[in-house]
Amino acid sequence: MDPNYVVEIENVSRTYRRDEFEIHALDKVTIRIPIAHFVAIMGPSGSGKTTLLNLIAGIDHPTAGRVAVGGEEITGMKERELAAWRARHIGLVFQFYNLIPVLTAFENVELPLLLTHLNKAQRREHVEAALRVVGLADRMDHYPRQLSGGQEQRVAIARAIVTDPTIVVADEPTGDLDAASAEDILTLLRELNRRFNKTIVMVTHDPRAERHVDEVYRLDKGVLIGLETNTAVSARATSA
Amino acid sequence: MKYAMLVLKNLTRSKRRTILTVLSIAVSLFIFSALVSMPAVANRFLADSASTTRVACHNKAGVTYALPEAYKQRIAVTPHVAAVSAQSWFGGVYHEISDQFPNMAVDPEMVGEMWPDWDISPQALHDFQRIRTGALVGTETMKKFGFRIGQQIMLRGTIYPFNVTLNIVGTLGGKAPPSFLLFRRDYLEEAAGRPGFVDVIWVKVDNSAQVPQVIASLDEGFANSSAETLTEPEAAFYGGFLAGYRLFFQIAELMGIVVVFTIGLVAANTAAMSIRERRSEIAVLRSIGFPARVILSMLLAESLTIALAGGLLGAGAAYLVLKLVTMEGVIGAIQMPASVLFEALVAAALIGLLSAIVPASAAARRNIVDALRAVA
Repeated sequence: MDPNYVVEIENVSRTYRRDEFEIHALDKVTIRIPIAHFVAIMGPSGSGKTTLLNLIAGIDHPTAGRVAVGGEEITGMKERELAAWRARHIGLVFQFYNLIPVLTAFENVELPLLLTHLNKAQRREHVEAALRVVGLADRMDHYPRQLSGGQEQRVAIARAIVTDPTIVVADEPTGDLDAASAEDILTLLRELNRRFNKTIVMVTHDPRAERHVDEVYRLDKGVLIGLETNTAVSARATSA
Repeated sequence: MKYAMLVLKNLTRSKRRTILTVLSIAVSLFIFSALVSMPAVANRFLADSASTTRVACHNKAGVTYALPEAYKQRIAVTPHVAAVSAQSWFGGVYHEISDQFPNMAVDPEMVGEMWPDWDISPQALHDFQRIRTGALVGTETMKKFGFRIGQQIMLRGTIYPFNVTLNIVGTLGGKAPPSFLLFRRDYLEEAAGRPGFVDVIWVKVDNSAQVPQVIASLDEGFANSSAETLTEPEAAFYGGFLAGYRLFFQIAELMGIVVVFTIGLVAANTAAMSIRERRSEIAVLRSIGFPARVILSMLLAESLTIALAGGLLGAGAAYLVLKLVTMEGVIGAIQMPASVLFEALVAAALIGLLSAIVPASAAARRNIVDALRAVA
């Protein structure tokens, strides 16, 4: 495993069985994501973006191939090991925020820390720091229903970074937001990447995202069809 | 402990549903506790009251048939018999027909030897043997009617065509049935015109090991007489006396179990609905690293908390209601024994765990991707 890459995916295939149908979501995909890069995975619906993200996050298993994240090969891990590994290495952000409605912003962000050995005071310190980073220090006692969509997604991002994970994976983080909020979230993710050297892998349909990321991986029908670096994507985004 | 906050917060998610579930479990366990208390009290009465050296000798044809009083003398000279006391059921009522409690006449000179476990004070025993109208009354009956020592009361005869006027000289405590009233048989005999018959002859055996031998000896001795006897240990005698209630007790127990089972099914449906609604949240918790066993434990803890709250509420209410609304029976007041409270809480815990175990296990182990996809 190359220490310069935080994610190494080799010849990964993923096949689902839905009733009598077999769906090839990914077909021999190979990707290597360098440490501290902000990466977008783009492609049309059904192209296998989310499947790829799920494999990186350790919430799905490949049918074939090898997945290593943070220097650890996770392909052969059992569910119990994977849960512990996710708690240490992965911060997840979802399209629909997926905050727990009966918990305040503070309590939602605190959730991943309950799995650590931190005491209450230490947990408070970490949660407050995470909420400060996302600009919601003054909303920590608010419940999700008392926050806007953009603010909910910020809380979700705070929850994803509060344990200082190896990698943050975000599945359509702007998919449910208006243009202004989406721009704010992308800027925040970019800032997290720049200020804290956080590796971020994001699945998105949002063309605005291209301006913020270092690389864009393009998938179609489960196959990797292209890799564009920041210069290229920026140039294309500008001309568009 | 750090997960307790999550459990408590989830209980407040739908306050109405939580309250209704707690109340439905409370009502079922109230019914269960009240119904199961009756046989439990009867069983406890038999276990607590019966002596291993006291036997009852009565007519083989049944306790409603009398024995000649003269049997007493023959029984008294049987080897290993330490004391003998005849008993006649008076069956009187105090004031109203509903004011009933077991009252019977016994031989005063043998009361102390026959029932040493009934905590009769020496003074009360002395007065009972001295005063022909003396009566000893169980604590429950004293309390229920507000009797006091020295008080004169009248019992109206329902079997005998006369009333008896009695003076309370002491109380029956210890292992005595708390509703009993004893008065002197010589007083009853005189009022009844000395019929010379008794209902039961109580026999105290000098050693519990000799009880089978004494029983055999007595029944063989009176075989082929005009009034054959059936002698049995005290527990068996009272057990037989309560046999008429057994079917009712069994139906009561069965009803209690059916009610709890039915509410268990309702609780299972509620738990399944509650967990199904939160599949996405459970998937999110698992995706951020919560192990399946922690999620399963939290879901079971929620269900257990609801069920135990209902159990405490229902069983506690049953205890209070039975205590306040005293149900007087042959064996005394029906009050909820601690064992029934324990059974009710165990039943509540089982409702909590069994109702949630299947949906909680399924939710905790469901494929994360499938659960997240179902939400999206």
